[in-house]
Amino acid sequence: MKKKTISIFLAAAMTMGLAAGTPTVFADEEYDLTLYSIMTTDSDFDDWLANVEEATGLNINVIAAPTDSDTRQQKITTILSTGDSSVDIIEVNDEMCAAFKNSGWLEGLNDTVMTEDIRGEFPQGYMKDMITDKDGNIIGVPGYSGYLAFWVNQEILDEVGIESIETKEDFLAYMEAVSGDGRYGYGGSWEKTYVFNEIAQFVNMFGGDYFDWTKEENKEAIQFLHDLVANGQTPIDQIADKYEQMNPKANDGKYGCWFYWGMGSEYDNEGMLSDDKIHMAMVPDFSGKGERSIFTDSWSYVLNSASPNKEAAITFLNYMASEGGMEASYKAFARYPARADVAEKVVPDTDPGKEMYSRYASECNVNGRPMVAQTMEFISDMGTIFQSCMKDEITVDEFCEKAQQLVETYQ
Amino acid sequence: MAVSKKSMRWIPWLLILPVVLIRIFTTLYPILATIKNSFYDIRILAGVNEFVGLANYMKIFHDPKVITSITFTIIFVLVSMALHIILGVGLAMILNMKFKGRRFIRTIVLIPWAMPTVVIGMAAKWAFNNDYGLINDFIRWFVPAYQNSWLINTGSARGAVIAMDLWKDLPFFAILVLSGLQFISGDIYEAAKVDGANGIQCFFRITLPLIAKNVLTLCIPFTLWRLTSFDLVYAMTSGGPGEDTALIAYRITTEAFTNLNVGYAAALAIMLFLVMALISWINIRFMNKIGD
Repeated sequence: MKKKTISIFLAAAMTMGLAAGTPTVFADEEYDLTLYSIMTTDSDFDDWLANVEEATGLNINVIAAPTDSDTRQQKITTILSTGDSSVDIIEVNDEMCAAFKNSGWLEGLNDTVMTEDIRGEFPQGYMKDMITDKDGNIIGVPGYSGYLAFWVNQEILDEVGIESIETKEDFLAYMEAVSGDGRYGYGGSWEKTYVFNEIAQFVNMFGGDYFDWTKEENKEAIQFLHDLVANGQTPIDQIADKYEQMNPKANDGKYGCWFYWGMGSEYDNEGMLSDDKIHMAMVPDFSGKGERSIFTDSWSYVLNSASPNKEAAITFLNYMASEGGMEASYKAFARYPARADVAEKVVPDTDPGKEMYSRYASECNVNGRPMVAQTMEFISDMGTIFQSCMKDEITVDEFCEKAQQLVETYQ
Repeated sequence: MAVSKKSMRWIPWLLILPVVLIRIFTTLYPILATIKNSFYDIRILAGVNEFVGLANYMKIFHDPKVITSITFTIIFVLVSMALHIILGVGLAMILNMKFKGRRFIRTIVLIPWAMPTVVIGMAAKWAFNNDYGLINDFIRWFVPAYQNSWLINTGSARGAVIAMDLWKDLPFFAILVLSGLQFISGDIYEAAKVDGANGIQCFFRITLPLIAKNVLTLCIPFTLWRLTSFDLVYAMTSGGPGEDTALIAYRITTEAFTNLNVGYAAALAIMLFLVMALISWINIRFMNKIGD
């Protein structure tokens, strides 16, 4: 009898537990489209969403994308590759654009959103390199324009009496003057998946081609970086550094110059962003021909081919590509408008990045970063051999040989 | 109405059926799917999905990244486990001594174990930083000019990963050894002392033989946890410098979820599974031998 009572009690407890664990199901609210967004953690996201819903007349369901980049890429790849139609619009970065643009998972937007009348206002190099597929279809709407800007420490420039860094010779003179006593002329973020940006930037500055490591200019760029390390003008320690480690060093005055994305909020937060402290500068011309190169990046809104709500999705994308949509993103998230005409109108002259961003757009060759479909694997492998080269485990020639092999494997 | 014993036999099966079904769906099916995938070249980003037989398994032995991972995994498991045993038994002996505040010390030594590994990994990345890290700060108390970036050279980066692994899990190992020590009767030590045995003799002749089986039993899960360790390296070094601290579990995760080479990752996972099964079998055989 005692056993029976205990059994009945346990069975009842289990049933109640199961019942309690079952979520209450409410009737689904009717949405016009579902947006998979990376911006949901921003404190102004709700205001931005309200603005977009009001302007488009759409009722938008938002799904927060994971904040971890690997998890996010896995989830988005799964959604798109399986033809999951539960998400209509997705925000993707350059790595994902490179991976997905020729897969057929994304809808072409040439005739509906990225029409000829506005296409010319977006950075052309970026459009071509990043969001145009092999058949010429534009598959995304850039949500903003960011540059891998050249940053300098004005206090250090003043201290060594150098006014600006315009050429390779200026750059080397600055390295020579600044480096020593725990301070370096150049600083970077050379963790194996981050250093790709700087390798590609220097290759461009020397007039090379990231996908052709037989070119002398590529070798020159790597030799240049290697010499900076060998001469104590940039620290080998930075091969462990991501941007989280690099920026405190920049703020602490350990670096004379460096390349970094964004508008400098990391320096602003520390009270270091100003014309007499840390600020953006024009990218030096290493070619000697007046050619300056700079990379741009973005997160783009793309339309899932499997979406059942394409009409609503196109309404949304049209708004994001318009002045109103770009202004809303600038005001809510401080995202610099991707369209040059909109940036000119919307961004006030008091914005510390405006002048430099306008100059970058007009004076530099603006390109998307060189990426392949298996981007992360390629980036990581290139980073690995670069670190070996900088540590003198392999020579610069061996690096170029291996880099060419990697290009042939992945491209 | 009495129910016969024979007809009652199916009731336990019926009761565990939901769990069995869940297990089949969540464990057996993924294992079988992984085995199947290991015979296919599945590269999601390249849009490839074709049967390749044992090619993925053959590739493992020619892939320098995997060979580096296997090398470090072997070093990591052997060094970490050896130090777990030596330092863990030592710490357990200390915690078994009678001293004031013993209970408090026993509690606080477990704090690192209770912390999430990812948090420890992220903190360790800063701790081993040359400019801002507390490790070098501490060393500079004694050697003011000391400069060393721990995470940029193969040897020091691997050492740092092993050190963090020990810092986190050693106390837990020690507490479990301590539970074995507490089963040893004090009478045995007293008898040994009467017979003239010193402390070292007591340790090697009494303590060690009596806790050996306990320690070896602990070695099975602790070894398997080391073999499947991924999060520490993920947060602390991202496998760097180069691929030098990429443990095999980290390599599998990278292939599966970053590079999306599902077939190759499945083959690596199956190989790891076989190695784990072999190690467990050897360990159990060894344990039985000691028991005999």
